[in-house]
Amino acid sequence: MATMNGRSASLGRRLPAPVAMVGTWSRRTGILAQVLTLAIIVAGFALGTRGKYLSWANIQTILSLAAIPAILAIGLHLTVVLGGIDLSVQGVASLVAIFVGLLMKNQYNSHDVGLWIIPIALGIGGAAGLVNGVLNTRLRIPSFIATLGMSWVLYGMAVYINRAVNIQILDERIFKAINGMVLGIPNIAILALIVAIIMQFIQDRTQFGRYLYAIGGDEAVAQQGGVKVEKIKILVFTIAGIVYGLGAALLACRLGVATSRMGNSLLFPTITAVAVGGVALTGGLGGAKNAALGALIVTALNDGMVLMHVNPYAQQAVNGVVLIIAVALTLDRKKLGFIK
Amino acid sequence: MSDANNRRGGPVLALRQITKEFPGVVALDKVNLTIGRNELIGLVGENGAGKSVLMKIMIGLIPPDGGTISLHGQPVTLRSPGDAIRNGIGMVFQEGSLVPNLSVMENLFLCHEAGFRRLGILSLRSMRAAARELLAQLKLGIDVDLPVAEISPAERQMVEIARLLWLTKLYGHDNPVLILDEPTTVLADKERETLFTILREIKSRASIVLISHRLQEILENCDRIVVLKDGKNVTEMASSDARLQKIEQLMVGHSFSTDRFHEDEQRRRGEKEILRVENLGKAGQFQPLSFSVGEGEIVGLVGLVGSGKEEVCKCLAGLEKADSGSIFLDGKRLPAGSPRGSVRAGIGHIPIDRRSEGLALMMNVAENVNLLVLNRLKAGGFLSPGREKKNARHWVEECQIKTPSISTLCANLSGGNQQKTVISKWLSSRVRLLILDHPTRGVDVGAKDEIYKLMRKLAREGIGMLVMCDTLEEDIGLANRMLIMKDGRLVQEIGSAPKTKPDPKDIISLIV
Repeated sequence: MATMNGRSASLGRRLPAPVAMVGTWSRRTGILAQVLTLAIIVAGFALGTRGKYLSWANIQTILSLAAIPAILAIGLHLTVVLGGIDLSVQGVASLVAIFVGLLMKNQYNSHDVGLWIIPIALGIGGAAGLVNGVLNTRLRIPSFIATLGMSWVLYGMAVYINRAVNIQILDERIFKAINGMVLGIPNIAILALIVAIIMQFIQDRTQFGRYLYAIGGDEAVAQQGGVKVEKIKILVFTIAGIVYGLGAALLACRLGVATSRMGNSLLFPTITAVAVGGVALTGGLGGAKNAALGALIVTALNDGMVLMHVNPYAQQAVNGVVLIIAVALTLDRKKLGFIK
Repeated sequence: MSDANNRRGGPVLALRQITKEFPGVVALDKVNLTIGRNELIGLVGENGAGKSVLMKIMIGLIPPDGGTISLHGQPVTLRSPGDAIRNGIGMVFQEGSLVPNLSVMENLFLCHEAGFRRLGILSLRSMRAAARELLAQLKLGIDVDLPVAEISPAERQMVEIARLLWLTKLYGHDNPVLILDEPTTVLADKERETLFTILREIKSRASIVLISHRLQEILENCDRIVVLKDGKNVTEMASSDARLQKIEQLMVGHSFSTDRFHEDEQRRRGEKEILRVENLGKAGQFQPLSFSVGEGEIVGLVGLVGSGKEEVCKCLAGLEKADSGSIFLDGKRLPAGSPRGSVRAGIGHIPIDRRSEGLALMMNVAENVNLLVLNRLKAGGFLSPGREKKNARHWVEECQIKTPSISTLCANLSGGNQQKTVISKWLSSRVRLLILDHPTRGVDVGAKDEIYKLMRKLAREGIGMLVMCDTLEEDIGLANRMLIMKDGRLVQEIGSAPKTKPDPKDIISLIV
């Protein structure tokens, strides 16, 4: 066998198929560091709260609180893998919430679309994402500006429609379904898990997923190889928007109340979850499971700080530090020329 | 298999009378190249001879201005690299065209996964099997699941070659044309042998065009050698008839016009030593070396890309940090790896890519000229517009920068005038040593002459210069002395006094 050098001779060994598969699965989207981080956090708070943290009730709380941030992070992380970012999550969530409030059974009008709210919410989110994608590719506006602008446009629309009143959602069935549990596990957490599995599968096993990583890895090479870069980018932003639509509809139904302010504090925890999960802001690395796990870590951390009665302002500062550390650890500095 | 492939005997690919012009230069002038079945062709020429332009035309990256390309006797128009692949022509680029975060297997089939797809889902098992088979054909044992970022440059090349072979076969070509752009520059000796073993094997089912600066390997491995010079075919010959010296002579040519480089203005090295480098070394880049540059002396640093000359210059400019040795400027030791330290000591660096590194294009001429000397242009703690104008006007006149006014944006100047602006920026900062990295690249003949004159003038003012040129002729013409580098070593020092300039043939045999 003509090996190119000594190094490849040792690497050239064929691994057994299952090992090789785990190898591939963890390489680009490794989760070892995240699982360890989670274990350390859990162990620390378990000691700090003398076991209260590990009570089943608290674990249920963490799972149900992590579900919606996880879904939003799964949407947002796609745009980060691409090498861009999507900051429109707050605007999309606010606008979707208003539509959810006004179209489901509520105290203001006689609409009651029932489960049809799902395609409507996904559609609004998708349309917003499509606009983000078109602004980014056709008008060549950097994604962080295009989506930040869009966020304010959508938020403005939501406030205009809603005038900042709280809309009570009166659909008991949906409220119960979302806040219910199966075998002691919150339904909403199961839903988040399903979203993560589907998205991870798409990333691992479809051409779309492959091209997503190719663009994130080296856009010029991907383009030269024949990847339809523009089309994939628009699709990515659209899917991200659809996922936000789902997350926002779930959030409104879970709270039982919709308002244009609903999205206002979603961006920071979502980006933190993406970064903590190990999705590199330089693109090309990290998958849906990283985003979901990142949301779980951030939620577990905040839940623990509440149980330990940490000063709320200090909690915010801790989150800020966590974000900066996570980005510092995942950034591929070789790809960056100058940091601006 | 398509009809075209059945027509055996004739050339696979024929380029006739290919012409390509860029503003100010004729890159290719009626160049012909025919490629037969199962042939390994070596394409040689100096930097700037037109090899890469010709390759880019062959893969549809740039359109020719004139001439025809025919494939199996049929004229074709290649609009993109993808188009070329569908026609059975592929290229392995020097900088590589693999996505680093994807695995070997994913890169092999990128954008052509359709055959592994069922109901929209990719079968990783069949992809892995196909990838292994493909690499086994080339007798390679690379783990197909490794990300490309983790395999060696040699392996990356192999993966690219395998990808091209697979792709062209996918499009039904049984004798594709593979173009390899200087594949051996990044390889160690042993890897180079492996590459040629594999290329000779592939030759039974493909035609290969090999670009290389290493003439010896071309002579040993190629069937035919095509020599380009200044965008023209010089000659082509069977390798069996070729001799190294003959090719060297053809590559360099004899077109020395009288005193293009203002050799009569060449001054002798002054008494004072400006730069002294002692045992400067950087692992993996260049071996410890020592040299000096005197007052008013122009020293040419000569060698191929990858010989380590760029890295030496980067260490002098403080852009990279050497592992060992020291640099002295006017007798004072420079801090290692500090661009600011180098600038303060009086080293100016004129980078090869002036548009991105040398000039702030969106600033005007005055702002660029004054950039390094803002301290001197202050009055009462604030920048004085009057002093700024005075300084800028002085240097625009001194360096004969042709600009409508000192407030014209540098983006709107010609290449030659941009270069003069970069030089004047350094002069205004009272530089002692100037490193010129391909100062005349991409400027037209007239501007070249002005830059040569400017360099002579700087020499008269006592500034020492270290220059890397586009062509060997330029190096010889400009320099007082040349330092020849090869494979990271300073191999020889050659004097280049006016009237007794060395013969380029003697030098080229030292560098390749």
